[in-house]
Amino acid sequence: MSVYLELQGIRKRFGHTSVLDDVNLQIREGELVTLLGPSGCGKSTLLRCIAGLADLDGGQILLERRDIAPLPPRSREIGMVFQSYALFPNLTVGENVEYGMKMRGVAKADRRRRSEELLAVVELTDKRDAYPQHLSGGQQQRVALARSLAVRPKVLLLDEPLSALDAQIRKNLRAEIRAIQQRFNMTTIFVTHDQEEALTLSDRVCLMNKGRIVQEGTPEQIYTRPRTEFVARFMGSYNVLTRPEALKLFDGLEGSADSFAIRPESVVLLSGSAQPLPADKRIVEGTICAVSLLGSIIRYAIDAAGVRLTIDALNDGRSLPLAERSPVLLALDESQLLHLEKEGA
Amino acid sequence: MESGIKRAGIAHRLLMLLLMIYLLLPLLATCIYAFAQEWQTTVLPERWTLEWFGEMFRDLRFLESLWTSLYLCLISVAISLIVMLPAVFVITVYLPKWESFMKGLVVLPYAVPGVVAAVGLIRAYSSGPLEIAGTAYILIGAYFVVVLPYMYQGIRNSLLTVSAGPLLAAAELLGASRTRAFASVILPNIWPGVLVSSLLSFSVLFGEFVLTNMLVGGQIQTIQVYLYHRVGESGHLASAIAITYFVFILLLSALLMKLGQKMNGGLKG
Repeated sequence: MSVYLELQGIRKRFGHTSVLDDVNLQIREGELVTLLGPSGCGKSTLLRCIAGLADLDGGQILLERRDIAPLPPRSREIGMVFQSYALFPNLTVGENVEYGMKMRGVAKADRRRRSEELLAVVELTDKRDAYPQHLSGGQQQRVALARSLAVRPKVLLLDEPLSALDAQIRKNLRAEIRAIQQRFNMTTIFVTHDQEEALTLSDRVCLMNKGRIVQEGTPEQIYTRPRTEFVARFMGSYNVLTRPEALKLFDGLEGSADSFAIRPESVVLLSGSAQPLPADKRIVEGTICAVSLLGSIIRYAIDAAGVRLTIDALNDGRSLPLAERSPVLLALDESQLLHLEKEGA
Repeated sequence: MESGIKRAGIAHRLLMLLLMIYLLLPLLATCIYAFAQEWQTTVLPERWTLEWFGEMFRDLRFLESLWTSLYLCLISVAISLIVMLPAVFVITVYLPKWESFMKGLVVLPYAVPGVVAAVGLIRAYSSGPLEIAGTAYILIGAYFVVVLPYMYQGIRNSLLTVSAGPLLAAAELLGASRTRAFASVILPNIWPGVLVSSLLSFSVLFGEFVLTNMLVGGQIQTIQVYLYHRVGESGHLASAIAITYFVFILLLSALLMKLGQKMNGGLKG
């Protein structure tokens, strides 16, 4: 599939600080791309730039090969859903959904038909005549979603749409958003600071830091092959090791990298002495420092040869949770050790 | 725990009662005085009369001054609304950097005592290109400055409460021009707050005396200036005027509040 939306060399400064520094991104039609990053990394600003709510200091935004950067927001054919919902409190749910069509001069009967169709999609048909402030947060956000889809935008921008909601509602609405996005084959950019949200939702994840995209790829690639220490630390509970630490666990380590990462679930704990020791792995002795139960997994903090490691074991009932201060054997797989690049390389 | 709450309740109520007495007693006394014919040595007047009200309403100058006050204040508040509504909107939504500057600017009128401001204004406008000293124009100009803080704060708070920024962004992305977005989603939502600030501004202007008397006291009689001139003649008459004035403001406030609630009705659903 060809490129649908393309960002070329986007730059944005606030005073003397650079918020976006040469951001390049290509998005295909119908793709859901997540901009993921800590707060202040520039992801929301990038979204506002695409929407036209903030001016660019450099670069182009090509939508179907046409530069939309000089256009005002209303001419860009871009829809946006805000963290704060931004529903119009003086209008009913139905009027909110129809607002965009009204501004574009769509006939009343067509507006009505389209808004009914969309309210059915977000399962709020019976709330048509209610005012937004009488709806729950999740319902309000679904109205906001219907409202932005009503005008058939070419690109949908979602600015942390789930951050203000409770955990359970967040999970449900997340799945719902994905289903609606796929149903309309909507090209979507989703901004979030929650890595779990990004991994479960996206076709592609762009991890941002300090105004740059530091790594992009499928959720699988981003999670299993972090390129830098920042990505490894952000994407999960990766154990990030310095070179001396890594050498303590893997003597005779090859490569010139200065830092390494190993996933907590890739280290196997050998508690019983009855088990045969795997030959292809490195066996290291360690002591358990702390145990915490996270539901389906048990997370151990382990001191192994003077290196502090976090290790996850599946809570499948086959092994009892090990007690604190008990000695264990760790089986480390060198092929699972990632060699990280320097920051900004 | 329960008794603690109860005791506090009594204390609170007592405090409220004292406050009400403090605020309403002078008004009550004035009211009684306005209806009294003989009130010398008794707790309550010996004889009641409507004579003072009759005299007041027979005096053409009273009705005239009431009308003068009404339209001068209305014009001033209207001008203030027309200027301040777009101005505060632009500053709050598009130029938040200027907010601290504006905050300082709007309280500036309070840094200058009324008498000083009046003398300065008269000197500045009694010659030169704008010779408006002693006319209604200088008064309207001064009134505009007097209500500036009320209008600024009121409009700004309303805009912040409805989070005008995201609302406007949403409307613009849906295809509305800025003007249309302002008229269709901002104005209806800030209207109740704006109405309350306008009402407050109106009441402040209606009761304004120092500036008015010094600026145009000789030429234009507002209700306050009229009241000031009649106080010396008869205490009963002055009381009657004060009570009428109070009732007038009360009715006006009630009317505007009702209006505000009606407009708010759509919001509350």
